[in-house]
Amino acid sequence: MSAVTRREWIAGALGAPLAANSKAATVAITTCPSYDGDLVGELGTMFDRIGGLGGIVKGKTITVKLNLTGSPGLRVQGRPPGVTHYTHPKLVGAVAHLMGRAGARRIRFVESAWASGGPLEECMLDAGWNVRSLAAAAPAVEFENTNNLGKGRAYARLKVPGRGYLFPAYDLNHAFEDTDVFVSMAKLKNHETCGVTLALKNCFGNTPSSIYGDDAGAAEPNEHPGKGRLDVLHLGKRGPSGSAPQEIDPQSSRDPGYRVPRVIADLVAARPVDLAIIDGIESIAGGEGPWIKGIRLVKPGVLLAGTNGVSTDAVATAVMGYNPRAARGTTPFSACDNHLLLAEALGAGSADLSRIEVAGVPIEQARFRFDGK
Amino acid sequence: MALVAVSTLAAEPVDWVPARWPWSDPASLDLIEGTPINCLLVSTWTQAFVEAAAARKLALLSVVPPDGDPVAGARRAAKAGLAGVVVERELPEDIARQVAEAAAGLVLIELGPRHRMKLGGAAPVIGTRQGVWPGIQVLEGGAAKAAPTGSPWIDTNSGFLRAVRAWGHRTIWVGSVPPAGTIVLGERYLQAIADCAMAGGRWVVSLDSDFAARLAKREAAALRDWKRMAAMLAYFERHPEWRGYEPVGKLAVVQDPENGALLSGGILDMIGARHTPVRPVPVARLSPEALAGSAITVNVAGAELPAAKQEVLKGFARGGGTLLNAPAGALAGHSPDAATLTLEKAELERVADLWRDVQSLIGRRNLGVRLFNVSAMLSNLLASPDGKTVVLHLVNYFGYPVESVTVHLEGTFRSARLLSPNGTEKNLEIYPVEGGVGVDIPSVSVCATLRLD
Repeated sequence: MSAVTRREWIAGALGAPLAANSKAATVAITTCPSYDGDLVGELGTMFDRIGGLGGIVKGKTITVKLNLTGSPGLRVQGRPPGVTHYTHPKLVGAVAHLMGRAGARRIRFVESAWASGGPLEECMLDAGWNVRSLAAAAPAVEFENTNNLGKGRAYARLKVPGRGYLFPAYDLNHAFEDTDVFVSMAKLKNHETCGVTLALKNCFGNTPSSIYGDDAGAAEPNEHPGKGRLDVLHLGKRGPSGSAPQEIDPQSSRDPGYRVPRVIADLVAARPVDLAIIDGIESIAGGEGPWIKGIRLVKPGVLLAGTNGVSTDAVATAVMGYNPRAARGTTPFSACDNHLLLAEALGAGSADLSRIEVAGVPIEQARFRFDGK
Repeated sequence: MALVAVSTLAAEPVDWVPARWPWSDPASLDLIEGTPINCLLVSTWTQAFVEAAAARKLALLSVVPPDGDPVAGARRAAKAGLAGVVVERELPEDIARQVAEAAAGLVLIELGPRHRMKLGGAAPVIGTRQGVWPGIQVLEGGAAKAAPTGSPWIDTNSGFLRAVRAWGHRTIWVGSVPPAGTIVLGERYLQAIADCAMAGGRWVVSLDSDFAARLAKREAAALRDWKRMAAMLAYFERHPEWRGYEPVGKLAVVQDPENGALLSGGILDMIGARHTPVRPVPVARLSPEALAGSAITVNVAGAELPAAKQEVLKGFARGGGTLLNAPAGALAGHSPDAATLTLEKAELERVADLWRDVQSLIGRRNLGVRLFNVSAMLSNLLASPDGKTVVLHLVNYFGYPVESVTVHLEGTFRSARLLSPNGTEKNLEIYPVEGGVGVDIPSVSVCATLRLD
């Protein structure tokens, strides 16, 4: 088991009391049984409960990180990935519509498409998305595959405040820097390595395979990535491309349960989530995608939104039936460190339910136990 | 008993829609009613059955199994007044001559092993008893076997059929039977029919014993599946013009049986799994005309081509085409034996090297058509002889309908129409995309065809 370092403990100990006795964030929950319902209405109400969308997006460039994990060709029982492990396209369309209506200047949907440096639209089409409809859902909708340089001319170096757990900074696609607002639009799921994958874990996909992939260039990025992203960040078998910042301590643990949660916390601290939206209408339990054995289809029928990624994930974790402050060795963080607490320790937000105001449906009413009990 | 002359039947051999018929009871023929099946392959029969079949203008073919005596079988068929004989093995010339003498006037169809098919011959019907059972390979635990592309791997006869059609054959039968000891679900039968038909072949309808028994008892579920099979057969038979359509696309593959053209799971199927339209070209038919319109030619036959054929390839490259030659000998020894239908592991590894090169050449290019959200489908792009009509067949091997399939076709088209086995036809919107047009298909159940004019 990996121990929390002294620096992490100090950061956590110092971070927690700072805002004691006040609510750190508001997270809205709503129940929504189907993607065929009034998603615009449900989302609109939810956004109003966290202060309204206008204040967040009006006149601004918005980068929305979706969750399109794995190859779109891999399916759970042949079902569209939107009802299993991808953010659902109808929900994405509804969000785009609302953002456009609220005055967003530009909405850029991004994801590091699996094993591809091609246009993100093609990945979406392969997932069965109607890209033309999505592009028409609001003025100035764009798409960018952040798995490589994409439409940018240079990578953006996002530094982790303080020092970072694993890396001092990460080289990412320009979309994560050239934006006023960063939205993480995630799926309510378990994750084999990290216990849960929500708005924070979704940011793991910010890293481009061109630099952090298994076939990343040794010295410079490989702009034609064709593999996944295990060797560098999960396993530490090799470093990222030499052009990017290297690991702080190459002697640190190679255990994915140690590394991945820290990478997540680093990334979230480096590029904080301004708006977290979590799709829990339909999903899978037991893992993050069809390649995980033992996954099962679930219909939690919930949506969550909040302006702080850590707090939104804390509430979502509770909705899934878990303790968001559970220590390593405790479900759902059975074999990993708790990335919510690691992110909290970096000052990215509070995972303390007592400090989070829940608006709309209470956690108890929205709860859908992902352990099936 | 009078012989049933082929001319008195409802259809010519090229139009026969065959089924292996496990029954010899005349009442079983009621099942034929309303189906396009007009040719039955039988092992046993009664006089009453033969007469009942004749009354329905059905062609009865006697099946001689691989270990049977074809001459005796032919005599037996002739004596009984059947329309022909199906021999499930290769026939050496002298035996074939004896069979022809024994069954003068009868149609002789050889359904031997693939590697013994008489490619380029004059037989009205060419075929094999060997076929893979189409569908997604499922591993232990129910997970789908992933292909090199990251998509589920689909077993298919379509690559084999493309290769045979490249020899000019228009009527190709695949006489494979359901895997022994298995109960085949209705959807899988539909996939087997469509898998062959989309590539211009005919799967000889063959029922597993459980289904046959339930059908014989006229169980409702079995009858329902039977009707769906009939509808699928009828769908392709309603469009005989499709059999005259030729594959289109900018990728040609030069390949012979000696380097794996008749195997399933080889280069043609790998390309097919990527939905890249491909035109197989046998070495014997390799000519500048055969490569016309190609941007890429993959020479799987290697460097051991006759000089004149090598010149054709050099001319193609000199004309600006991209030529990929398989390493000399890399695919030697791929000639399938009687029991081999697919590449062995070692061969797969050798093909993998070539496949990597092919993949890098294909990339994300549109070589005629690009398809999206089709990971569990296979497709075939064909054009009418005048080039004015293009059809894109789609076969879905999932057990679920797939929604929102997107097609990007090269070229200019004024209309797109979606045809389905259930008889529905629907106009679809065409919109411009880079280099051509885009069409969104709302849903594909087991099979659908996009026709563009």
